[in-house]
Amino acid sequence: MRYTRIWLITVIFFTALVLAACGGAAEQAPAEEEAPAEEAAAEEEAPAEEAAEEAAAEEEAPAEEASADEGDCSSEEVFCVGLVTDVGEIDDKSFNQSAWEGVQIASEAGAQVDYIETGDAKDYTANIELFAQNGYDVIVTVGFALGEATAQAAATYPDIDFIGVDQFQGETIPNLTGLLFPEDQAGFMAGALAAQLSESGTIAAVLGTDLVPPVVAFKEGYEAGALYMNPDINLISTYHPGGLDVAFTDPEWGASTAKQAIDQGADVVFGAGGKTGNGALIEVAGNEGVFCIGVDSDQWETVPEAHSCLVSSAMKLITPGVGELIGMSNAGEFPGGNFIGDVGLAPFHDFDSEVSDEIKSSLDEINAGLMDGTIETGYNPG
Amino acid sequence: MTTQTDSKANISQWLMVFWRSAAVPLVAVILALLVGAIILLISGANPLAAYSALAKGAFGTPIAFGRTLEKATPLILGGLAVAFAFKGGLFNIGGQGQLLVGAIVAAAVGFGIDGLPFIIHMPLALLVGSLAGAVYGAIPGALKAYTGAHEVITTIMLNFIAINLTDFMANGPWKDEGIVARTPAIAEAAAIPTWGNIPIGFFFAVVAALATWYLLYRTTIGYEIRTVGFNSNAAKYAGIGVSYTIILTMAISGFLAGMGGAIETLGVVGRYQPGFNAGLGFDGITIALLARTNPIGVIPAALLVGAMQAGSSQMQFDANVPFQIIDVIQALILFFVSADMIVRWIIRVKPEEGEQVTLSTSWG
Repeated sequence: MRYTRIWLITVIFFTALVLAACGGAAEQAPAEEEAPAEEAAAEEEAPAEEAAEEAAAEEEAPAEEASADEGDCSSEEVFCVGLVTDVGEIDDKSFNQSAWEGVQIASEAGAQVDYIETGDAKDYTANIELFAQNGYDVIVTVGFALGEATAQAAATYPDIDFIGVDQFQGETIPNLTGLLFPEDQAGFMAGALAAQLSESGTIAAVLGTDLVPPVVAFKEGYEAGALYMNPDINLISTYHPGGLDVAFTDPEWGASTAKQAIDQGADVVFGAGGKTGNGALIEVAGNEGVFCIGVDSDQWETVPEAHSCLVSSAMKLITPGVGELIGMSNAGEFPGGNFIGDVGLAPFHDFDSEVSDEIKSSLDEINAGLMDGTIETGYNPG
Repeated sequence: MTTQTDSKANISQWLMVFWRSAAVPLVAVILALLVGAIILLISGANPLAAYSALAKGAFGTPIAFGRTLEKATPLILGGLAVAFAFKGGLFNIGGQGQLLVGAIVAAAVGFGIDGLPFIIHMPLALLVGSLAGAVYGAIPGALKAYTGAHEVITTIMLNFIAINLTDFMANGPWKDEGIVARTPAIAEAAAIPTWGNIPIGFFFAVVAALATWYLLYRTTIGYEIRTVGFNSNAAKYAGIGVSYTIILTMAISGFLAGMGGAIETLGVVGRYQPGFNAGLGFDGITIALLARTNPIGVIPAALLVGAMQAGSSQMQFDANVPFQIIDVIQALILFFVSADMIVRWIIRVKPEEGEQVTLSTSWG
């Protein structure tokens, strides 16, 4: 009795395995025809072959696939770009996503691109190695946390160009460029806008953790910009109290902190901290007469739930920065050292009529002042 | 069947015992992989390609195998911490906090002292880090013993305190030069070396597992701990110091978790850096349940989960499957182990006596 049962289960198990194998092949083919951006253009040559291999349920099938990639990337003709995220996700509507969009600019120009999402901060080196050992030409690593792993990899693989988003380079390695942004200037613009929009005289910032220097830069710049416009402004800035693992992925905390600030009279809220900041923006959207300001990218596109409050966003133009650097690498003009990307305020979208010409011209003046150095944000990370 | 000799009877008896205790976790893993395969199919990926890439990333090369052992090390110790407390009737959710405290204190000993020889410095950093975890674990033990505060609540709260305390130390008094919030690198003499690709810390974890088993089943203290866990009123009646035993149980549990953190610092990261130990202590709960709180069973359970974590990047790269599927499979394993009625119904294995895992007891 018991033995029949075990046999039955064994049979079911192997049937399931075989079905899974066949199903896999059937599913795989159309998926590849849709040609997702991350699939190699060159790989399209052999979908039939691959499907046949996988139908036979051979263990080597994926290995073959990998070696096909390898051959492509290490050859001179194929330009391959890989991206390694920090412990955020590729669709974080911010940082990693912007960088990935920059890589996709290169893919439109014919490059083969792929990404790896990092789940554990200790895997940064291993994930970079995966691209390096498969012959990728450019590797983009996103976030200051990958700085050390990237610098080490750049020293090990002098023939590969590395782009480190938000990674300051103390000493110049010719095949490693840190893509940096003056976040304090973007924050300054946002603060100046907030101070002029506020009628209550109280504005707030809901922030990711102060363990991450760019967040501190945004905050310091925001406060300096607000005080520049209105020395009597009341500022409520709150950092997420948790560790790095939760600080950017806690929209509930962002929402409740934004709510508290509104209860204390704030009528403009700056949300800067990944999903935590997005939580603040969405909370503000439910409050009449309160404005919100997004961060990193134009969050009008990425957080549609916040349309009813989102005046603008303090942008780091990561996408064009990454795209430009990849182009330079392809052209053999990779700069090395630090490369300063652009920052600025996103368009006002629906609020264009509510932002007076007076405010707009003052923002233009501030922007010019920040550019030529006559206005300083006072932020000094030293 | 064949003629039965004594030795054959012994072997089949032994196999029977093994099957009884290992059947549920084994079948749970297989079921979880099957359900995972279905999820992969629905999302348009090829499960065989994904799983073989996973295996390649975990065992395919000596480097990959080394990473699997490296990942398994803190999981073994985190799992031991939870399993040990279970035996004493306590649910230690504070493994994460104890691990963080162990990790940062080991780092402090590692970078704070200079000029000691390896033979003293490394063991000292490891021991002090583990002891810090023990102290941090003893706090909820004392709260439980003297005030009756439930350890589930206090350990969760202490996790938050540990996260913020370690972040503060790494971004304040113990901060390295530069803008990154982390401690300075540990001295070379404090580092746990690797043997080729094999991290030596893994063997410390295995020894800890054997020692934990010995302590629980071959010593008076272990007997007392298990008695208190089984029925604290009866233990009291039998003359066992229940308060003392509870504190000791939590201290040893914290010691094991702290040792996990210390090995991470000394053997893998090389310093304390916020965010680099995220979730390790919580994975310990998964491991302990998968091992059915058996200290020896913790080793294969940790190796399995460690292998999945180590192979997940290769799986992303080869098969374009997001690493989050690993979390799904882990959660499914946990589901099938916890809901063991499902598994038992499928394979008709009776629960082994005394090996039932009770997740929580009544409050107070």
